[in-house]
Amino acid sequence: MEKKDFNIIAETGIHARPATMLVQTASKFSSDINLEYDGKNVNLKSIMGVMSLGVGQGANVSITAEGDDASDAIAAISETMTKEGLSE
Amino acid sequence: MDANKLAKQILDLVGGDGNINAAWHCATRLRFTLKDVNKAKTEEIDNLDDVITVVQAGGQYQVVIGNDVGKVYDALVAIDSRLGEGQDDSTATADQPKSKWSIKGAFNGFVTFISGAFTPFLGAMAGAGILKGLLALFVALHWMTPKSGTYLIWYAAADGIFYFLPVVLAFTAAKQLKVNQFVSVAIAMALVYPTFSNTHLHLNFLSIPVQSATYTTTVIPILLVVVVQKFLEPLFDKFWHESVRNILTPLCLLMILVPLTLLIVGPISNAISAFLAGVVTILYKAVPALSGLVLGGLWEVFVIFGVHWAFAPVMMNNLQQFGYDPLMPILLPAVLSQAGAALGVFLKAKDDKMKGLAGSNVITAIFGITEPTVYGITLKLKKPFYCAVIGGGIGGAIVAFSGVHANVVGLASILSIPTFISKGLPLSLVGDAVAFILAAVLTYFFGGVNNKSTKDAAPKAATNDGETALMAPVKGIVLPLSDVNDQVFASEAMGKGIAIVPEDNVVTSPISGTISVAYPTGHAVGITGDDGVEVLLHLGIDTVNLNGEHFKMLVEKGQQVAASTPLIEFDYKAIKDSGYDNTVMMIITNSKDYDFHFSEDTQADNNDLIDVTPKAE
Repeated sequence: MEKKDFNIIAETGIHARPATMLVQTASKFSSDINLEYDGKNVNLKSIMGVMSLGVGQGANVSITAEGDDASDAIAAISETMTKEGLSE
Repeated sequence: MDANKLAKQILDLVGGDGNINAAWHCATRLRFTLKDVNKAKTEEIDNLDDVITVVQAGGQYQVVIGNDVGKVYDALVAIDSRLGEGQDDSTATADQPKSKWSIKGAFNGFVTFISGAFTPFLGAMAGAGILKGLLALFVALHWMTPKSGTYLIWYAAADGIFYFLPVVLAFTAAKQLKVNQFVSVAIAMALVYPTFSNTHLHLNFLSIPVQSATYTTTVIPILLVVVVQKFLEPLFDKFWHESVRNILTPLCLLMILVPLTLLIVGPISNAISAFLAGVVTILYKAVPALSGLVLGGLWEVFVIFGVHWAFAPVMMNNLQQFGYDPLMPILLPAVLSQAGAALGVFLKAKDDKMKGLAGSNVITAIFGITEPTVYGITLKLKKPFYCAVIGGGIGGAIVAFSGVHANVVGLASILSIPTFISKGLPLSLVGDAVAFILAAVLTYFFGGVNNKSTKDAAPKAATNDGETALMAPVKGIVLPLSDVNDQVFASEAMGKGIAIVPEDNVVTSPISGTISVAYPTGHAVGITGDDGVEVLLHLGIDTVNLNGEHFKMLVEKGQQVAASTPLIEFDYKAIKDSGYDNTVMMIITNSKDYDFHFSEDTQADNNDLIDVTPKAE
């Protein structure tokens, strides 16, 4: 299992648009990918799931991936995080 | 709203007519292709009172007006007739939003066009139909003979509108398509001219042989002519100078369209007709029940397309050769199934007008007059017509299997049963009853009779098959999601859905379910439906940046809501004034698990806009 922590710096948090981008990235991989925030774990392939966490600025989240392409998935998600200005 | 003034303002603000390559309109928008988009003063257009918003998408510059767009477009064309040539895609489907072309869409548009052409004179047609039925009854009871003056005069009164149907249709169809009605009527009158009713006539037109065909009582040929006229008329109008246009355009249309119809439509319908008659005859010899299924089920479809008449010579020929005809009795289930479907509509309809019309049409159809039923009720509602096709097909199969035959060929109605006296009669009566009852029962339960939009969504009562209806979350104008001015939404990356340009401050829940997302900024809310559908309502584009200003979230995460529970209050005007697009998007974020049916309504006001059905695993 791969795991990576992110600190969300975007002023508006993970709202609809970045959530969509994250989910689109995650959905390209076969691994099970989860987003954990504030003790809650959601499937990163579900837009509603990601949005339901209401991740705001300054939040610490961690992403876990389990499967054949887990490390590629984490790398791609990190890239999306940076591209969307969610995290550094 | 002053359409002329608005048209002039828009014309000036998009950079004048010199900057317009083409202009046309759909259900709610004026659509332009502009030479130079930068010349258009988008902000000023947006601020015009009667303009809802401006959208630039797919190379088009779209000014969203709303339902009055037709008036504004006409005013625009009045200012500059050149703009009238544009791709006016408001033709056959003028009342429907322009969505992506599909066979289903084209079929629905076509059916809407046909039933729209019939609607204005349904009352007259139903009245004439009842008179026709009564006359048939009087003759059967030997109160009158078909040769008596009383009968002939009343028959003319009853049959006139059916015999000269193309003329009436020309008038209504031309009105629908906004072409010169009297030119259309003149063409239709030419088609039913007595000269052409002689089917043994051999004519050449400019040395091209003309196949004779009958156009009286037909529906499709004249509708096709009017559609062609829609294309030709503007061309001639443009060609001829204003001073002679009023005379020379009709002259050209008449000279071209009448022979064109006789040369093309006649032979095509002859060929199809002869082919169908041949197929059914061969089928009857091989597998009677199968031919009964085809003929009984599709007879009314043949009638609609005017390709039914080749069966008459076949039946006559059977009568001459064998002394009886086995095909004629198969038509009775087809006719009775329409009566049955009308009964189903009558029993189920909540709308008084529809109830009354359906009730009287049960009687006329039983007596063999199905036109008012088909065009006024079953085809208009679509699903009852399919129910009748099923009933007619199964009934027809039973009748054909029974081996019953007709000793006389004439109009198929309940009164023709005495002419069917032969060995298979009892079983064939079962077939007739099955057709009537099956069509009535199917229509009652699956006919979608009370669907507000009369579209082909299943009725509310039948939603237990997993179908979920999503109600409009806010009042306003409905747009396809692809028209939204934001790639993430328009590309359906988040899922399928629709967009609404809001005209009210309260956003309500489209479904019954649990709040799964309640953004503190109030610009987005997610509802997970009781049966799992995930709906995100996103209010405006980039409105997350307003940080809660103008929004008031009324619910909390985890809260149970019923459909139409208020979720968010927002000041849609202030949001627009702050420079944001305030379009409300309703998106199903787990779209991949569902099949979608989008309503064709263009107004959002507590109506169901989307039906979703879980995909079969």
